[in-house]
Amino acid sequence: MKELLPIPLLLGIFGTFAFSWAGLTFIPNYQIGHLDPQTDEEGTDEYPMAKSGMAERGRKIYVANGCVYCHSQQVRADYAASDIERKWGNRRSAPRDYIFDRPVLLGVSRMGPDLANVGKRLPVDEGAAAAAPPGANAALAIAASPAAPTTSPAAAAASPSPPAPAGASPTTPATSPAPAAASPATAAPPAPEEKLLADDGSPLAYTAAWHHRHLYNPRSVAPDSNMPAFRFLYEKRRISGETAGDAVNFVGDDRDKPEMGWEIVPTYEARCLVAYLMSLDQSHELKEVKSTASASAAAPGKGAK
Amino acid sequence: MTPADTLHRSPSTDVTPSEVEQVERALIDASTRVPVLMFYTSAIIWLLLGTLLAGLVSFKLHSPNIFSGVSCLTWGRIRPAHMNLMIYGWASMAGMGTAIWLMARLCRTTLRHPLLLVAGGGFWNLGVLLGVGGILAGDSTGYEWLEFPSYAAIVLFVAYVLIMSWAVLMFRFRRGGAIYITQWYLLGAFLWFPWLYAAAQIMLFVVPVQGVLQSAVSWWFANNLLFLWLGAIGLGTAYYMIPKVIGRPVFSYHLAAIGFWTYALFASWTGMQRLVDGPFPAWMITASIAAAILTIIPVATVGLNHHMTMRGYFSLMRYSPTLRFTVFGAISYTVFSMVGVLISLRSVARYVQFTTAGEGYTHLGLYAFFTMVMFGSMYYIVPRIVGREWRYATLIKLHFWASVYGIGLMTLMLLAGGLAQGSSLNDPTLSFDESTQSVLPYLRGRSVSVVLLTVSHCIFAFHFVLMLLGLGRTASVPTFLNPVEEPEAREAQV
Repeated sequence: MKELLPIPLLLGIFGTFAFSWAGLTFIPNYQIGHLDPQTDEEGTDEYPMAKSGMAERGRKIYVANGCVYCHSQQVRADYAASDIERKWGNRRSAPRDYIFDRPVLLGVSRMGPDLANVGKRLPVDEGAAAAAPPGANAALAIAASPAAPTTSPAAAAASPSPPAPAGASPTTPATSPAPAAASPATAAPPAPEEKLLADDGSPLAYTAAWHHRHLYNPRSVAPDSNMPAFRFLYEKRRISGETAGDAVNFVGDDRDKPEMGWEIVPTYEARCLVAYLMSLDQSHELKEVKSTASASAAAPGKGAK
Repeated sequence: MTPADTLHRSPSTDVTPSEVEQVERALIDASTRVPVLMFYTSAIIWLLLGTLLAGLVSFKLHSPNIFSGVSCLTWGRIRPAHMNLMIYGWASMAGMGTAIWLMARLCRTTLRHPLLLVAGGGFWNLGVLLGVGGILAGDSTGYEWLEFPSYAAIVLFVAYVLIMSWAVLMFRFRRGGAIYITQWYLLGAFLWFPWLYAAAQIMLFVVPVQGVLQSAVSWWFANNLLFLWLGAIGLGTAYYMIPKVIGRPVFSYHLAAIGFWTYALFASWTGMQRLVDGPFPAWMITASIAAAILTIIPVATVGLNHHMTMRGYFSLMRYSPTLRFTVFGAISYTVFSMVGVLISLRSVARYVQFTTAGEGYTHLGLYAFFTMVMFGSMYYIVPRIVGREWRYATLIKLHFWASVYGIGLMTLMLLAGGLAQGSSLNDPTLSFDESTQSVLPYLRGRSVSVVLLTVSHCIFAFHFVLMLLGLGRTASVPTFLNPVEEPEAREAQV
């Protein structure tokens, strides 16, 4: 009678699998599984920080609706890919950027653009990018205009005129729950926050109002987009008294505008989702990663070293 | 004991089985009838639902306004619903059905208490239903191929333990001394899956690892699910069906053993190449790329073994549906692995990462290889357990060609579309919109392929229902695709 179970076969089956399990999940866990936020010498300027409650809740909405299947959240190094040239970030992403993320949403596809730094992008007037205001705003506009790269050379030519720190560490928009990035170059002018609307009153790209309009109807702001609309995150209601402050701004878009006396307002879920998007920001310098942003490269005292 | 000792001569060598063996086989087949048919029926229902979702996924990608107001039909929900339905509903169900039958046949033991296995299958269906419902309702976990919410995952796991214990118990009660190579693969698959699933669930949900490691764990899982679970079942089935149908033993047992162990060792280490240049230590990605290159060894060994077994018998693919589907699957396995090696190489990976090429690769493995092998095994097994032969050779031919053209077109569109998308993504002078625009024509082409596959699956499901209703042919010879002219063109009879 033969043995009951073929021991060498079973050992082999378990052994090969244990080898892979240990090698690809267990050992990496020792290496990068217990990272702490970095701080400067005084123990302040902590990065990264856990997200606010609303942004965390927004992450759930992001996951539930499968945004991750089209949008990545990682910037690859400049030698490997054109992510940094596309202004999706000023440095490559590192494991430390994600220590509070659960689930981590690195993404597998770029049917839509990368969102690793979408909350850091400053308002940009896509329609009037060529007529960008002079000075500091022009320099900031390049960092925020992946959608209109053809205008970059013109804007780049204008950028040397202001002192370099302007682009080194842009302050986050006021609507972002993330802490304002504080770096040695804190002298950045606070100018860009004031301008959130284009001249015709429609929201500038990457402002919260723009995100709402984009989520409600992507093709109203990007005609060629194949992103699905997320109208189920918005509700139509009768205006009682004044128009709600966060009602979707349909200026310059007649098709979606509700009839007189009605307005489209974001649900709590939509507001959380936008809070999450506005909190996505990997612009803070990390000790282990070289920052390669063209704007900050010009700054003499760059880096938090 | 050397590995070769445990290999037993191919079951196909009994060209004229004795009366006793025939009765024995009939008894074994009868004991597996209810559970295997139950697994197959569920699998085919999931396949049809999954195909429906696939159509939605494909069409919505280039026409985003279809059903855009319905939350549970938004693209980001139906895509994971489709993938999980196909993997856990169709592929795993079909794979387990085939594996149970193969185990019973190869262990030469009747299946005891088949109703408990049916209960396991019922729970599995419940788990898939809960999981897909959960995803559509917005409960997805967000990890690739692990999107089922935890309440579904638990049901799935309990069901699995029930099913697996039966397969392993059969192995324990096997008769006949040696173990055939198919049993190696099946035993491996049945033991790897629970570990894999439990490890991934624990490391992601119970005691979650930090940050980017979640991505590493989830890719490690997805990759091993493809290779060590579905891949192992698929390869094991091909190792049974090809020799069985043509009536010759496997060309080399040594090659089979080498193929098995190198497969277990190297294929299990791949996966991280999908994260190339991401925020990970470079060694992890390099290790996976190296492992992917090393999988050429098992792929070449298995391919060579099948080829040498088939040599001189390729003409039989004209007649036997099982052989035709299985050999197509086995060849696709080689193609799938070669594409896998190619898109793992760092220079290529940088190009095709974040494009549709990855999806093309996955479909090559899940459909062109695994699903086609499963269709082949169903064409072999179903007549033996219902006691009827397939009714219409024409339907089988239509099924085959619609599937072949469908998956061929899909793979071509996704891979070529990936290259187009990748080259415009990597050119920063082009605006981002252009990369999406460049892939849209390919996505429309992919939609055509989904229509073809839908036709193919409907035909197969209809034919299967005829068999279930006992409307198959009562004949002593199997249904051949073409009239047999030569006497040697016969399938093994039992």
